[in-house]
Amino acid sequence: MYKEVKNLEGAVVSVVKDNYLSIPFDPDNTDYQQYLAWVAEGNTPTPADEGTQ
Amino acid sequence: MASVVISGDTSGAITISAPAVAGTNTLTLPVATDTLVGKTTTDTLTNKTLTSPTLTTPALGTPASGVLTSCTGVNYDGYKNRIINGAMVIDQRNAGASVTVNSSTATYPVDRFAGRGVSSAGVFTAQQSSTAPTGFNNSVVCTVTTSATPASTDAYLFRQNIEGYNVADLGFGAAGASTVTLSFWVRSSLTGTFGGAIQNDAFNRFYPFSYTISSANTFEYKTVTITGDTSGTWLKTNGNGMTVSFSLGAGSSRVNTAGTWTSSTSEGATGQTNLISTNGATFYITGVQLEKGSTATSFDYRSYGTELQLCQRYYWKNLASSTYSQLGMTCLTPNTTTTVGYPNLPVVMRSTPSVTVSNVRMVDSVTGLAVTAVSVTQNSAITPEVSFTVSGATQYRVYTLQANNNASAYIDYSAEL
Repeated sequence: MYKEVKNLEGAVVSVVKDNYLSIPFDPDNTDYQQYLAWVAEGNTPTPADEGTQ
Repeated sequence: MASVVISGDTSGAITISAPAVAGTNTLTLPVATDTLVGKTTTDTLTNKTLTSPTLTTPALGTPASGVLTSCTGVNYDGYKNRIINGAMVIDQRNAGASVTVNSSTATYPVDRFAGRGVSSAGVFTAQQSSTAPTGFNNSVVCTVTTSATPASTDAYLFRQNIEGYNVADLGFGAAGASTVTLSFWVRSSLTGTFGGAIQNDAFNRFYPFSYTISSANTFEYKTVTITGDTSGTWLKTNGNGMTVSFSLGAGSSRVNTAGTWTSSTSEGATGQTNLISTNGATFYITGVQLEKGSTATSFDYRSYGTELQLCQRYYWKNLASSTYSQLGMTCLTPNTTTTVGYPNLPVVMRSTPSVTVSNVRMVDSVTGLAVTAVSVTQNSAITPEVSFTVSGATQYRVYTLQANNNASAYIDYSAEL
């Protein structure tokens, strides 16, 4: 459902939902708030692909 | 005190008295057959000119016409209507197309207004409409396509979340909270008592309200005056400061008595008509206004450009105008599979936006490369960093974001509440 995204420096900086919606790690972003709630329910995002953003 | 007593026609008397006075003063009576006006009597005055009056808590009523000139101290609230897109004119997402509301995910038929439901038990569509009362060009129509009797915790609604900055001055959550008035035009295929609610972001303060639709398929103007809430936490910055929700259906544990603040979850009012229970039922709404004070005033029309920019703080769709339109972004190419751009958003958004794309490509002067993924890689509410995944890019070359042979291509940015 959610997949992590790394920047060029290799840090996880956002997630993509359903291969469609890019969600930044901004506490004020409501999509990010929903992602955090999903994680709080015990879910884990798919790790980012190695070597790509 | 000198006085003159005049006997009444049939009984009683009127005494005209002179107070203690120095010098000689003249009281001139009007040359007319008329009645003198007292200081404390209630009178209607005609054809009077007032020079330098001080008006204490005046009520101007609803004059057919009038001009205020050279006024000082007039407290006109420039941002009167706290609802954005209350006339349902702006629809960046759908350009008038219908959307289906069949889940709890907020679905936007027009900018800033969302429909929500529960699972797929009951389903309705929502769409910008040109059916509107006099003085408006648009409304939103909700149409039930799958009827359901709401279970106790179910709720179907049409709502707007208002940013805290735009209602902070109302002072909710503390003594002295302002009274507000909600007004709107509504039309339904059903008649009866309908409901809605004002809610805070923490979802623990609720004001259920009700209104009556008297005639089927006829626009009616409704007003609801709401005493300010002195309790609870009401966000005052860029979070959800207040939700205004119109109920299309609510279960027994989601309704409460209209007209009073409560901490019990309320999506509607006790005894309300549940539109969602009638297949094919329609609900039109427009002219939604929430304003400070206890009186509903005329709708606060804003220019199209102003209203559009207000909407773009929460959502911006850069839509292609032709099959190969440029979509406003020049990108760097750090490696062969990634391009990185920095869009200049039209206004500062409420937060760093979420981003989606559809049918776009990266193009230099020679080659077009289909974009297979997009991600926000650096936060900013005005110039976020957006990265695109492509294949076969030339490192360090400059590319631009372009529609990929599709006039419906777009990139959109959402910072909705």
